[in-house]
Amino acid sequence: MRLSRQGTSRIFPVFVIGLFGITILSGLLGTLLPSMNYLPVIGHKHVSLSVWFDFFSYPGIKTSILVTLFSGLTASFGVVIFVFLFITFSYGNALWKIFEKILSPVLSIPHAAFAIGFGFLIAPSGWLIRMVSPGLTGFVYPPDWSILNDPAGISLAIALVIKEFPFLIMVTMGALGQLDIEKTLLAGRALGYKKEQIWLKILIPRLYPHLRLSIFAIIAYSLSVVDMAIILGPSSPPPLAVLILKWFNDPDMSFKLIAAAGSLFLFFVVVLSVLLVYLIERSACFVSESWITNGKRHSFSARFKSIVFFMGVCIIGFTMVSSVVLVVWSLTWQWRFPDFLPAVWTLKFWAKGLVSSFDPVMTTMFTGMAAAFIGLILTIGCLEHDVNFQTNHIMQGKAQNNNKTLYYFLYLPLLVPQITFMAGIQLLLVIMKIDGYWIALMWSHLLFVLPYMFISLSATYRAFDRRLTDQAMLLGRPYMIVLFRIKLPMLLRPILFSFAIGFAVSVAQYIPTILVGAGRFSTITTQVVNIASGSDRRAIAVYALIQQFLPMIIYALAIILPKILYYNKKGMQV
Amino acid sequence: MKNFFLILVWLTILSGFSQAFAQEWGEIETAAEGQTVYFNAWGGSQPINEYIAWASGVVQKRYGVRVIHVKAADIGDVVSRILVEKAAKKQKDGSVDLMWINGENFRAMKENKLLYGPFSQKLPNYHLVDTKNKKTVLYDFTIPVDNMESPWGMAQLVFLYDTKPVSEHPKSMLDLLVFARKNPGRFTYPALPGFHGTTFIKQALFELISDSKALNRPIRQSEFEKNTRPLWEYLDALHPFLWRKGKVFPSSASQMLSLLNDNEIFISISFNPNSASNAIENGELPNTVRTYIHTSGTIGNTHFVGIPFNSSARQGAMVFANFLLSPEAQARKADPEIWGDPTVLDTQKLAGREKALFDAVPKGIATLTPKELGQTLPEPHVSWVQALEKEWLKRYSK
Repeated sequence: MRLSRQGTSRIFPVFVIGLFGITILSGLLGTLLPSMNYLPVIGHKHVSLSVWFDFFSYPGIKTSILVTLFSGLTASFGVVIFVFLFITFSYGNALWKIFEKILSPVLSIPHAAFAIGFGFLIAPSGWLIRMVSPGLTGFVYPPDWSILNDPAGISLAIALVIKEFPFLIMVTMGALGQLDIEKTLLAGRALGYKKEQIWLKILIPRLYPHLRLSIFAIIAYSLSVVDMAIILGPSSPPPLAVLILKWFNDPDMSFKLIAAAGSLFLFFVVVLSVLLVYLIERSACFVSESWITNGKRHSFSARFKSIVFFMGVCIIGFTMVSSVVLVVWSLTWQWRFPDFLPAVWTLKFWAKGLVSSFDPVMTTMFTGMAAAFIGLILTIGCLEHDVNFQTNHIMQGKAQNNNKTLYYFLYLPLLVPQITFMAGIQLLLVIMKIDGYWIALMWSHLLFVLPYMFISLSATYRAFDRRLTDQAMLLGRPYMIVLFRIKLPMLLRPILFSFAIGFAVSVAQYIPTILVGAGRFSTITTQVVNIASGSDRRAIAVYALIQQFLPMIIYALAIILPKILYYNKKGMQV
Repeated sequence: MKNFFLILVWLTILSGFSQAFAQEWGEIETAAEGQTVYFNAWGGSQPINEYIAWASGVVQKRYGVRVIHVKAADIGDVVSRILVEKAAKKQKDGSVDLMWINGENFRAMKENKLLYGPFSQKLPNYHLVDTKNKKTVLYDFTIPVDNMESPWGMAQLVFLYDTKPVSEHPKSMLDLLVFARKNPGRFTYPALPGFHGTTFIKQALFELISDSKALNRPIRQSEFEKNTRPLWEYLDALHPFLWRKGKVFPSSASQMLSLLNDNEIFISISFNPNSASNAIENGELPNTVRTYIHTSGTIGNTHFVGIPFNSSARQGAMVFANFLLSPEAQARKADPEIWGDPTVLDTQKLAGREKALFDAVPKGIATLTPKELGQTLPEPHVSWVQALEKEWLKRYSK
């Protein structure tokens, strides 16, 4: 008897691979040609390498590349190391439990909104210094310190660590379910190891493969981030991704060619960095083998533990206060240095902001809901196919096959810098005359929504105890009924959670929205970016808070709905 | 008698012209009715967004033209999109019907044939434009406009300073250096190649160059070094005393407004002579901020609206552009409580109710009188922009 169905469900991975592959490859082609000096519309018809020469001789390009590498890699390494330390020292303690609770609201804060709040917090005229001025510092006027927009990109790197940390923790929490944490800890303790050592020597090496792709995505994101880099990064020269965007928008059309070359180079930097991390991983395996098996039972100093604890508190603190400062600004009429709070308050900006953002909010909601819904169908379809595929292999006595290709295609939009392929896609859509259609916009969001949904759902989905569905099928119910009556309802909470993440990702999309939407669609995020190109922080704060609020509603629903639906089924609420 | 006859002939011809003119415009208005105009314009300022919303409401009511303000963070995005549409051979139904544009973006669009063609002469309100005293309505960054864009507002480089920490403001670039030495870290200018930063550099060059006539002609590489040497020497001397010691530059003049409000800097720049008054009016700046210009005068120019080659709502776009030129819309725009953007019209040509509209515009608390603002300096020849930006980046963006 067949306990699963494989044939028809193959359509999901094929669909995903086909469409993702085609979209991104054609996008890359649209960037490759201009980088080779081929862009007939502005009169460049002869393929040559001159563009690359222009790119590498652009003033300040070396610094720009170095800043990109420094801030991107510091942030990526920082967040990975810190997440490992954090689980090692804090798994299961009070701080960990707090994180579990606040993870979803923190995750839903859009990058730009966080950057705006964070920037206002740490600036020399920012809230932190206002709190102690002029009382403690004697500053009547703000000090001239390069804390924000520092030339090396340190403030950008710190902000990236704070923002990526909850994401990696979320992935970790999902993956932890697949490891036998308690049993391993128990066994390790019985052998005389400290808890921290068990984590570092046994659990983290086993955890890493589950996080690998997410870590690659973090590297790619940190190296190619635009919105946070504009707000917090250095300005002359800016990081590469910002420079590329400036070139794309330069009035001098020939800069489009340099922008194309630059964005391919950025992709190259990402690929190299990912390779580097892979090499580090391999050599770490090699080097640490003897350390892992040396049998020594060290204990860690308490100071180490308190540093990790302190940093964890800092991350929560900065994230929260960055949002609070936005709330204060949104209610401000006038607020000058060194006042701790605004001198004059007003509700005017909320009144105006709520009215003018009504349509954009509707567009955002529809697009986000649709993208997350389709994303959910595709994610479940692919996962279901995958789970069955593996079961069949095992049952037929074949070696376990991980069906890896699917994941690489799925993760492509996260690994290739947005700017590298979105411009090419824009051209493609215009040629096909579907630019500016809502369906194209939704599709472009789906490219980024799907991988994140997949990341968030796959661990729990794969860990589902298939004996439950097997039992139901043995009792004679068809596969589809079992899927919809048993499996999916039992997975309702993680499914809704993944839906919320997908929605949040859609809300945050800026570049796809302006490139594919042809100016026909204004979302709350395009509103935020537009108003942030001006000077009015009060209006910026209002839009940023609305932007932050939308995903939070969906997250809240994801938490509350299972409680309501399963109010009388305690076991289903988990 | 002969003269009378001649005049009669002239009058007949003229009225024939104006009748043809009116007829053509009537056709445009008829065609415009029911069209939807996607007006792509920078959306970073709430007062400006609200003004555009007001103007859209009026043309919807009066002419049945629906105007949608597509807000852009950078109009370069929009130029890129039109270029992509051209590359894809999209000859009609383009995504943009009208756009807010000037300077280098206009040049790029004109050179790459992304503009629809001459149209501003067809607008009935165009004859009110002050083409005599405001030369920049005809030459956008020295590029002949050729009626390919319709003037919308005037701009002039002004300095904003906070009178609380600064008792006496500088009157020239050299004064500004003295000020910076006395108040280290309290002045800066936006990074190049941003347009505000470039304007500041052009102004400095104008004040420092020995042969200012060289600025009016296309740049000659051989002279560039000699002509710009005083500028780089000046900047080399200035930068150590700038905000963040000249290692970090603000990304835009908008960001400088916030810095001024935060007291991080004491002197800021703007391209709108009314921006201080407008910002005081809406709480963005304290009412101790005032405006000044250098005694040599400052650079001024005009901003426009243009129609892309593949717009399918050209008539609607023209109706809207014409309304933006009307005394009613221009006077409202000039009001510092609304936006405070100076008019492109010659108010001398107005009479009666229309003139009263302008007379009623209040003068902002921090606005200079037209006399104080004086005649604007012309933009240097457009070829200077790229050369200056490139050299600046080479020197200060390492």
